[in-house]
Amino acid sequence: MSQPPPFGLMAEFTEADAMTAAVRAARDAGWTCLEAYSPYPVPEAAEALEVSAAPVGYIALAAAAVGAAFSAGAAWYVSVHLYPVNVGGRPPNAWPVFMPTTYLVAILWACAAALIGMLALNGLPRLNHPAFFAHGFNRASEDRFFLFLSAEDPLYAPDAAGRFLRGLSPLRVTEVRSA
Amino acid sequence: MSDVTAPVAEAALRPGRWSFRLSVLLCAGGIVVLAVSVAVVLVSGVGVWGNNIPHVWGFDLIAYAWWIGIANAASLFAAILVLRRHGLRTAVNRFAEAAALAAILAAAFYPVLHLGRAWLFYWTLAYPNRMQLWPQFGSPLVWDFWGIMSHVIVTSLFWYIGLIPDLATMRDRAAGRGRMRLARTYGLLALGWRGSVAHWHRHQAAYRLVAALVLPLLLWAQTVVALEFATTLVPAWHQARLPLHVVVTGLPSGLGIVLALAAVLRVALSLERFVDDADMDLLARLVACAGLAAGLAYAHELLVGFLEEDETTRAALGARVLGQGAPAYWGAVLLSAALPQVLWLDGLRRRALVVVPVGILAAAGVWLDRWSIVVDGLLRDHLPTMSRGYSPSPAEWGLLGGTVALFALVLLLFGRLVPAVSMFETRHEESEAEAEEEER
Repeated sequence: MSQPPPFGLMAEFTEADAMTAAVRAARDAGWTCLEAYSPYPVPEAAEALEVSAAPVGYIALAAAAVGAAFSAGAAWYVSVHLYPVNVGGRPPNAWPVFMPTTYLVAILWACAAALIGMLALNGLPRLNHPAFFAHGFNRASEDRFFLFLSAEDPLYAPDAAGRFLRGLSPLRVTEVRSA
Repeated sequence: MSDVTAPVAEAALRPGRWSFRLSVLLCAGGIVVLAVSVAVVLVSGVGVWGNNIPHVWGFDLIAYAWWIGIANAASLFAAILVLRRHGLRTAVNRFAEAAALAAILAAAFYPVLHLGRAWLFYWTLAYPNRMQLWPQFGSPLVWDFWGIMSHVIVTSLFWYIGLIPDLATMRDRAAGRGRMRLARTYGLLALGWRGSVAHWHRHQAAYRLVAALVLPLLLWAQTVVALEFATTLVPAWHQARLPLHVVVTGLPSGLGIVLALAAVLRVALSLERFVDDADMDLLARLVACAGLAAGLAYAHELLVGFLEEDETTRAALGARVLGQGAPAYWGAVLLSAALPQVLWLDGLRRRALVVVPVGILAAAGVWLDRWSIVVDGLLRDHLPTMSRGYSPSPAEWGLLGGTVALFALVLLLFGRLVPAVSMFETRHEESEAEAEEEER
């Protein structure tokens, strides 16, 4: 029985700086299908990977606008058309009193959208990922740093990729295969 | 470098000690009291409480406003630490958020039970129904409904999102020891987090954005609670300063609880290294500051009430401060504003035996202030009713004690099941400290 083709190569580092340098080198060498892993946020590495967090903010802003419009619209429609109540001759469309709920609902939608949108942008939740097959990957959540070069990258050739990664002085380089 | 945060994860993975089991047992007893108190209200109706006309709110709203105040101050504190990137955040943020969440859970009992027919609570939602009834959006009660809903949802999301990377660590540690069922549970909750640098980047952006949005949300949610009082014609309540008063005097309760919790957790879970003496020192000073702020709010109340307001309001405040309401009023001033000032003394601030009771008593003082507003505010209400006074019934005491037990139980389980200190923030901080040392 032949083995399935590997998902890619994983290099393990003990320091965040070494991993960041490796990411930069890989980007400079023209790699596009790569992912880095760390036990805490490393903004420099994210910069090198050209990841932008701005979409999180746009999603939150859009959700706030929709939530506010929805809440104010509902308050207006209920108070003017569905269930107008005359309280001391006040007009049914008393918009200032609709503002507290509008404000609260806008923030509620913005917060929920920022968090859920962040998960969606990250492609989470998902049950498994090739990276979890890598040797010793459980320490990515504790104290080790990893760089993954995917076999889907056009530059990928097992020997050349291995040589390239070993040139970055990692702790070890392993091939990532299922089971 | 081995993982610096291993002891935090160990605290959640090792078997419970006898003291933990005893505490859970005690809380379970309290939950029984809670269940009985709730059942009594559901079966007999709110008539079993001491409420009457004009005391329509009584214990119910006192406890509700008190729990919300604790949740509010704890969440505000956590959000500000995140935004300021303060070193204290790694130590206390996680359980400040957990305390806020537990306090909201406790608070949620009161408005729902107070409806009388609690099982029809969904009538307060705006939805098309056969009776063609709709909520009135001009009512502070409807504002409060949305305030609390937003508070609950945003606080729980904030807490959970911050927890995801640490749940991934727990998953990997549990799997490393062959505890596969536990690892699968943590793994499902971690949503497949793999620590990708790109994911971290967006995670941090979302986390900080939500922290920034929590501040205006909380201030406004607490303000809305105060507006429920301010929009009535009762002289002691009909005041523009009430939102400010409720927000500021609430601070010692939330911060006091966080301080007491920090002192207990660091010993019980052996986390002295992560919640160190400098953290405790800063936290204690903060509680003293909150007491000072509450003291200023009380002084403002007296100055404005006696010097600026009309005769009716002066009489109402006089009854609260100098008349029948004096014990509750001055008790509140003593416990929530004056007592925390002992924490300025170096010798006292560093002792767990001092800070735990001071923190809890500060919270109790805020409860007395809520009593002073809700119950004693009606001593001079000028309503054409036969005022019968107010005394809480055993069902109300049971509910209060029961929700305290619920709060404690949620926090106990939190301390055992999830990392009580943010592990990834601690790692991040340690790595930064190491880099600084190398530069030197």
